[in-house]
Formats: sequence, structure tokens, C-alpha cells
Amino acid sequence: MDLVRDVLDKKLIDREECEMGRVSGLLMHVGETSQPRITHILIGGPTLWNRLHPAFGRMSAALGKLWGPSRSGAVRIPWSRVETVGKEVKLDVEARETGALDWEIWFAKHIIERIPGGGSEEEE
Amino acid sequence: MKKILQLALGIITSVGGFLEVGSVTTAAQSGALFGYQLLWAILLGTLCLIFLVEMSGRLAAVSKHTVVDAMRERFGFPFFFIVLVGIVLVAFMVLVAELGGIGFGIQILTGVGFPWWAVPVSLLVWLLMWKGTFSLIENGASLLGLVTLSFLVSALKLHPDWSGVTSALLPSMPGSDKAKYGFLAVSILGASISPYLMYFYSSGAIEDEWDSSYIPINRFIAGFGMIFGGVLSMAVLVVAALALQPKGIQVDTFPQAALMMTTALPRWGFYLFAFSMIFACFGAALEVSLAIAYFFSQGFGWRWSEDLEPSKNSRFAFVYTVIVLLAAIPLVFGIDPIKVTMMSMALTSFTLPLAIVPFLLLMNDPIYLGKYRNGWISNSVVSIVVVISFVLALISIPLEIMGG
Amino acid sequence: MPAKRFFLLTILFAAACKPPTPAEQMDTVVSWVSTARMAGDAWLRHTTPDKYTSQTLQLSDQMLLQTGSELLKSPPPTIDSAAFDRALTSTRFNISEMSRFVKAKDASQFRQPWDSVLIYMKIMKDFSDKVESSK
Repeated sequence: MDLVRDVLDKKLIDREECEMGRVSGLLMHVGETSQPRITHILIGGPTLWNRLHPAFGRMSAALGKLWGPSRSGAVRIPWSRVETVGKEVKLDVEARETGALDWEIWFAKHIIERIPGGGSEEEE
Repeated sequence: MKKILQLALGIITSVGGFLEVGSVTTAAQSGALFGYQLLWAILLGTLCLIFLVEMSGRLAAVSKHTVVDAMRERFGFPFFFIVLVGIVLVAFMVLVAELGGIGFGIQILTGVGFPWWAVPVSLLVWLLMWKGTFSLIENGASLLGLVTLSFLVSALKLHPDWSGVTSALLPSMPGSDKAKYGFLAVSILGASISPYLMYFYSSGAIEDEWDSSYIPINRFIAGFGMIFGGVLSMAVLVVAALALQPKGIQVDTFPQAALMMTTALPRWGFYLFAFSMIFACFGAALEVSLAIAYFFSQGFGWRWSEDLEPSKNSRFAFVYTVIVLLAAIPLVFGIDPIKVTMMSMALTSFTLPLAIVPFLLLMNDPIYLGKYRNGWISNSVVSIVVVISFVLALISIPLEIMGG
Repeated sequence: MPAKRFFLLTILFAAACKPPTPAEQMDTVVSWVSTARMAGDAWLRHTTPDKYTSQTLQLSDQMLLQTGSELLKSPPPTIDSAAFDRALTSTRFNISEMSRFVKAKDASQFRQPWDSVLIYMKIMKDFSDKVESSK
């Protein structure tokens, strides 16, 4: 598998086919004796903006502390949760529990639900 | 039958993306200044657009990826971000121009100036996105957009000299005012080949759940829809050439443009112009705002669908809410919509390579399209037109600024 | 890309500041007189709202004042600037008369200034041709 071509920037979906962002980065473990291997998928936050320029990464980290959901930093998903890699990367997780939807929920709760007709993010 | 109904997608894409404030203004100005002479630019723009729209529909039908999805995946985040900044800036200016166009249409009907309409109009556009579904927007806007057919009726009633019309389909140099001519040609190309249109159309194809069985109908929709828009733009130019040019009336402001159908359709011409402007710009405003929201959502992998309740795709809803409200601000302060229009159309030509080059690479990528990838005809038509627009923009924008 | 953004901004500002040539200014004058005439024509046929018509006439008056005075700051040598000034003043007078009669909904009084504007349209066209030929 070509990691950059097949995994990086691919859309992530959870068990229920819910969109949970794109692969922003990959975390590798390089051991002294073992082969390097991927341990985690990273989603969003400073990881993503760092790819543009470290200054953007710092800005994103600073902004995340001032504003938005309490959990900040990139979301880490263990590589073992990857089910399939195709058009999308399918993960065996519950999107809400991972923190990948924190911003989505934050925008819904703080802005969209407060506007009449915005509906509620939680109800099915 | 369901597939035939998809023609609405073609028509809204066309009315919204093609025949809107940009095309009406640039075509009317060209006709008023140069007669039929700039018809070739509309033809060239239409041709290029047919191919581009067909491609973005094909990409969506075959790969289930929108143009933006594929761009982010294939070219990575940093490149995607540069395109995002360029496209969104220009699309935002277009949105300001469209809202101005609606406001102007209401202004000539009521006598109350467009700055007063900016906020109500932007709220109305927002409300339609907030409450409406994709098919409501698609079908509603294309149905209302049919009023623009009055341009065609006017053009025919003025009995254009057909040999003059056909010979203007090939480019020629003007006797004087070369800088203005070049600038108008660039603006026409920019008004026709709007990149946001591809983002809208490919997202629409996903919203309407196309698969590869839609490829033949996609070709037909793209062709029919864009020819529809192209012919109407040409009609605007012809009407301006016949009704305004002989009188020496230039289209520097909207109230002047409003007179152009009063010769051909004495009774209804004025009102038809106002309503054409309102509906066409309304469709375009919806289309541009949604295209910007699609661009962000798809690029970042957020949940998006015009059919979901806003809170179910809060970031998508947030983007269009902010964008459409921000766009009202310059108008409230009385910025001249016609100036914004002309500038955003010319700048579109300038940013075309940024949007089109990566798209062409994608369209030739077997990973996404397999056996459905581009043939040499599509590749060459689009590349040639993009190069022409870019070079023309490079030459004529500075010339226009320095006053030729 | 700061360089590119800077370039775009320069374009925007420069486009707003570009000074028009005398020939272009004359074309604008003709265009506005003609606009007033055509708007009047449509109004007489009861095909345009009163408000639109009076506003367009006022706009035309205003644009004539603006373009005319800019042109007279450095008048092209080929035209008699005093004659042009007189013609411009009379044109503007007739256009504001038209606008007044539109507001009063008085079509019969309206016709007289409307007819005069046609004459001034031709006069302005002559001035324009003179400026054009001097290039």
C-alpha cells in the first residue's frame, strides 16, 4: 500500500458510515530493533496546519485553546481500528467517542442549534 | 424518468452559473460597445464549459468523488489550501455581485436603492439553504430561471442580421479600443467558465446519487444545460447590440441595461428584464454560496448535504451562513455591483489555471476514472481555452488598468 | 501567497482610479443623454414605473454634470468649450424637466423637454465626433 497515495488525505468514516474528517497525518513507531510501523491515524488540528507551515500549526494550537471544544490537539485513532482502505478509510470506531466530531458538535451546539429551524444535532 | 428530471440540475447549473449578473453585464456591455463582435468569446466559453461540466459529472458518477474530494486526496492539503484561498476569494466577489444583481432588479421595480435590499436578499438566500432541500433549490431555481428565455425572444424579435452574427463567432480584432475589447473578452470568458460551477455540479451529482449509468445522460445534461446558458448569453449580447449600440448607450450602470428589452418587447420588456435579473441572480447566489460550503466541507471531510437538517452538518451550514451574510456587507456600504461584477469576472479568468489544471490531471487519472478517463478531445479543448483566457487576462487586465 | 494577493489588490485599486480619455468621456456624455431619451420613450409608452424613470433621469443628469465638469477641466482643443458647456447645461435642464414631469405624471408637458433632448443628443454626438476625429 502506498501510504501517501492511499491513506493520507482520505476521508474517514466510522462503523455507521458517518464522516469524521480526513486523514491529516500518520504516526509511526520506529523501534531500535523492529521495523518502523504505523501506530496511529491523526485527524485535524495542528497536525493538519503544520503541513502548510509550522506557523499555521502554532496558530491552530493557540486558537484551539481560546475557542472551540475543550479537547484540543489532533485526534489519534489506533491503526488497528482500520477496517478497510478504499475510496474511504473505514474505521471500526464510534465517531462521536473518538473526538473527531468535537468541532462538528461544538458548532451545532453553540451556533447552529441557536438559530431557529436549525434542528437538534442529537435527535435521530 | 428520474434521469430525465435531472435536466433540472443542468438548467440550474446553467442559469445559476452561466446566465447570471456576470454574463448579463459582460454580454450587455460588449453588445453595446462592439456590436456582435465579441460573440466568439461566449461561444468559446460555452464550449469549454460543456466539457468541464461533463467531466465533473463523469468524475462524480464514476468515482463517487466530487471534484474537491479528489483534489484534496490526490494533491494533498497544502495544494488544496492554496486553491481554496484563490477560488473562495473570487467566488465571494461573485456572490457579492449576484446579491447586488438581485437588489438592483428589485430597485428598478420599487425605486428603493439596492443597498437597502442587500440584507433582506441575503437573508432570503440563506433561508432557502437553511430550510430548503437540494431538489427544491434545483427545481425551483431552474423553473424560475426560465423567465430568462425572454432575452432570446427579444433577440429574435429584433431580427438580427444572421450573417453578421455567424461571422462574429470567429474572433476578429476591433478597429479601436483594443484594451477594452480584450478586457471584455476576458470578462466574458470568466463569466462563462466559472469554476464554482463544476464544484456545484459534481456535488449535485453526488446529492442526486449518480452512478456510472448516468454517464450518457450526464453528457446530454451538460451539453443541453450549457448550450441553454450560452445561447441566452448570446441573446443578451445581440439585444444590446441592436437596441443600445445604435443609440450610443453604454452599459455603465444597471438602469441603462434595464432599457435593452423595451424596444423588442415594448409592453413587458422592462419587467421581464427585472425578473430575469432577480431570478437568475438568485439561482446564482444559491449556487455560489453552496459551492463555497461544499468546497470547505469536502476538502476537510466534514459531513455535508443540502438535504440534512443544518445541525446535522453544522460546519457546512455554518460556512454558507457566514459567507452569505458577509457578502451583504459591501453592498450595504453602497459598493457598485457592476464594478464588482466586471472585476470578479476578469479575475476568474486569471485564477482559471489554478482550478482547471489539477482538475484535468484528475480527469486523466485511472485511479479515479478507470476506463472512463478523458480522451484527447476533452483535454485539448479545455487546455486551449484555459490558456487563451489566462493569456488574455495577463495582457488585458494591466492594459485596462493603465487605460489602454 | 502574499505577492499574488498584493497583485490582486493593486488591480482592484488601479481599476477604480484609471482616468478616462476625453473621447471616452464624450462617449459617456452621449450615452447618458441617449439613456435619458430612451427612458423617456419607454415611460411615454407606459412600460416603465415612474420611480425608475425619474431616478434614471436624475442619475443621467448627475452623470452628465460629473463627466461634463471633468471634461471641461482640460477641454479637448477641437471643441468650443463654451458652446459645449452651454449645450450641456441646456441638456441637463431638459432632463431635469423630464424628471419633474414624470413625478407629476404629466405626459403632455413631458413631451416638450423630451423632444429637446433628442436635439441635444445630436449636438452632443457632433461634439463627440469632433473629439474622436482629433485623436
